[in-house]
Amino acid sequence: MKEEVLRMDRITYQEQGVTELNHFCLDIDAGEIVGLIPINDTGMAALIRLLRQNLPLHYGYVYYRGKLINHWQKSDGSFNRIGIIESRSGLADDLTVADNVFVLRQGFKKRIINRKVLNRQLEPFLKETGVNLFADSCARELSAFPRFITELVKAVVAGCRLIVLMEPASVISDTRLESLQQILRHYAAKGFSFLYVSRHYEEARQICTRAAIMVNGQIAKVVSTADTPPETLRCFGVEAYTQLVRYKERPRPSGSDTIPAMEMKGLTFGHIHSLELSLAQGECVVLQDLNNHIVNDLIALFSGGRQTTGGELRVGGKVLKPSRSREIAVIQQQPTQTMLFPELTYMDNLCFTLDHRLPNIWRRSAPRASVRHEFETMLGSKVFDQPIEALTKPEKYDLVYTRVLLQRPKVAVCVQPFMSADVEQRMQIWTLMERLLEKGISVLILAVNLADSLSLADRLIRVRDGKVQAVYGREDFASLPSSAPWHDFWASTDKGKEPDGL
Amino acid sequence: MKMKFRYLSHLVFGLAAVQAVLVLLLVASCVLATRQGAWPMIMSITLVLEIGLCFAFYLWVIRPYQRTERMISLFLEGYSLTSLDNSGVSLSPVNERLTLYVKEELNANRLLKLSKRQAQYRALQNQINPHFLYNTLESIRSEALVAGLNSVADMTEALAVFFRYTISKVENLVTVEEELQNCETYFSIQQYRFGPRLKLSIECAPEDKEEIYRCRIPKLTLQPILENGIIHGTEFKIGAGMLTVQLERTEKLLTILVSDDGVGMDEFALAQLNERLDKSGRAFQEDKEEHTGGVALVNVNNRIHLLFGEEFGLHVFSIPMAGTDVQITLPIITSNREMLANEVLS
Repeated sequence: MKEEVLRMDRITYQEQGVTELNHFCLDIDAGEIVGLIPINDTGMAALIRLLRQNLPLHYGYVYYRGKLINHWQKSDGSFNRIGIIESRSGLADDLTVADNVFVLRQGFKKRIINRKVLNRQLEPFLKETGVNLFADSCARELSAFPRFITELVKAVVAGCRLIVLMEPASVISDTRLESLQQILRHYAAKGFSFLYVSRHYEEARQICTRAAIMVNGQIAKVVSTADTPPETLRCFGVEAYTQLVRYKERPRPSGSDTIPAMEMKGLTFGHIHSLELSLAQGECVVLQDLNNHIVNDLIALFSGGRQTTGGELRVGGKVLKPSRSREIAVIQQQPTQTMLFPELTYMDNLCFTLDHRLPNIWRRSAPRASVRHEFETMLGSKVFDQPIEALTKPEKYDLVYTRVLLQRPKVAVCVQPFMSADVEQRMQIWTLMERLLEKGISVLILAVNLADSLSLADRLIRVRDGKVQAVYGREDFASLPSSAPWHDFWASTDKGKEPDGL
Repeated sequence: MKMKFRYLSHLVFGLAAVQAVLVLLLVASCVLATRQGAWPMIMSITLVLEIGLCFAFYLWVIRPYQRTERMISLFLEGYSLTSLDNSGVSLSPVNERLTLYVKEELNANRLLKLSKRQAQYRALQNQINPHFLYNTLESIRSEALVAGLNSVADMTEALAVFFRYTISKVENLVTVEEELQNCETYFSIQQYRFGPRLKLSIECAPEDKEEIYRCRIPKLTLQPILENGIIHGTEFKIGAGMLTVQLERTEKLLTILVSDDGVGMDEFALAQLNERLDKSGRAFQEDKEEHTGGVALVNVNNRIHLLFGEEFGLHVFSIPMAGTDVQITLPIITSNREMLANEVLS
């Protein structure tokens, strides 16, 4: 007989008159790992809020461990013992791992804390996970994987029988993801249940027994991952995206006879050891960091915050002096939050990296008017007079990528560009990056997780421990592990040949 | 602080009276202030009482009023038949009488009897005499056997068994086993039409099978959904169609998932259908409203709501060209004692 852990039964939930969850049905049994694949963002944040707290429902019933905890006639606003691990840290940065696990626990009443006792109590839990993590480590110093493990142990210690994992693959590297999945299986065998939120079916099927496909705040279908689902199901919600990728024609760069847009020769510093890489003009290369060591080092190097200790970095054939260079543009992850300045106007945000091309841009209004006139058709005329906060997310993406387009760098470095984006946003990002490539700007995608990078890439370079481990051309993408997003797309096209229309 | 009042109107009058006294006190304190200078004490006490009164007004009047209004609006939207019952307080004695009257009209027993009477009326309208029908089918079967038409004989037998179950058995609840047998009979009839193109699979964990098969469920719960799956799902599909009935149980719940791998539906049609299922009250309130498709699901759902309450019922999952799943959630009932404990069933 199965033991029910969570049952959200026909939930209709509204926030400020907007329906976030619409006839939402989801059930999870004890010891089960259920995947949740949101096709768009509608209702996702609301779902997490509802799992965390019993908020007033428009209609429906929520049962947790067989008990009715929230229903449309009565919501007491109490908090549920459900662990939620998000892609951003939920730990107190200045406390140690042991403090985070025990001291911040609900119901912890000791006034005098004996650190040795806490560390000793934590030891069996850490041993159980098999992760080399110290109880004394400060939470601030933890990278994504140990942080995930700490939050997982914290949830287990707090007695949460259901733990929600929000897109772990967006911050954890492939190798670590396998370890995490093993740990999840271990806890599932002990009766803990997991809701694993992932944007990609390929990823969810590696770990989940069932996967629920969520669209516009309702669960459209729950699929068993044991069977191979039909293609219509695998591609549900991304058909338009697949078509866009399949039929987009862009001449692929040969890169043989011209000066490379970027060249790394024996690059050594930080965690990077003798990294070799060459990027042709208009080429898109994905650099996947398999153990999440070098991405931060490379961002620091490209932004001018770090120097190399060995080897050289050439851009357009010249050794790069990154501190004031406009030859490289770095597009940070989640750029709509990190790369826009709300206190500046739209035009200021758009043009502030344009000074090397138009030195008079800030002294004379004519160049700015000219830029506005030129880009009005692309961006729309209304956005130019709007404050940054009033822009929609697609408008913000347009602004960030158009700024780079105006800057005209040799190389645009995009850090996890598809992170936490729904299908529509991913399509937009894909189109914007294609636009950069069409203009001859090379794109280097830095990623710990492939996400949609393969939909755009000409080459994939996998790096482990700061060294190149493998290089894949388009014709080799089908030979990647089946858990890689877009693997099925490349496998379905003729092996060794470009897909139709490309 | 929990106090229960029967009528909001009484409470409002009471609080208004207290308010009037406080206003008088305030006026008196002002008069005294001008004459004797003793106002600060009385004034501050009055102010404290005023604040307390406002708090009481919010707690005992505004909040119950908001709750009552919400329940009424949900009832009017068709979400629930029992929400009027659970609104907590009545606005006034006349309002309470009105609510009682509406509740009586929508009493589950009455509605169930009404739906039974409608079914009987329809049977009469169709001039179906069950015994005449069975005898005729038996005669056809004999003739077919004599003529060596074994397939016609088998088909006629299956039809007779199906009608006997559908028309003759008058109980509200049957065992899962009986209901599944009826599904298989119905399916065997459909197979004469579709041939090997159509397949049915019944799946259940072996360790739970015995217990699940003993559970009682409303009669004709599964067959209409299976029929729906064939008509709206697999019939329009090119190639073979697969129907699956999966049964699972927990301590308190029996979950049956009837799936087809047919044409499915888009998210808007899905949301519309699930809305109709959730708003079961509307189906009773608006008989005149005509819908196309999904009538069988709505009927089964309404019967479950009437028999077991609104916590149970149907929910549909579907994706275009990837099939439809109908999830039926029911309470676990295995004995007559449990049936008798249910007011409607007894």
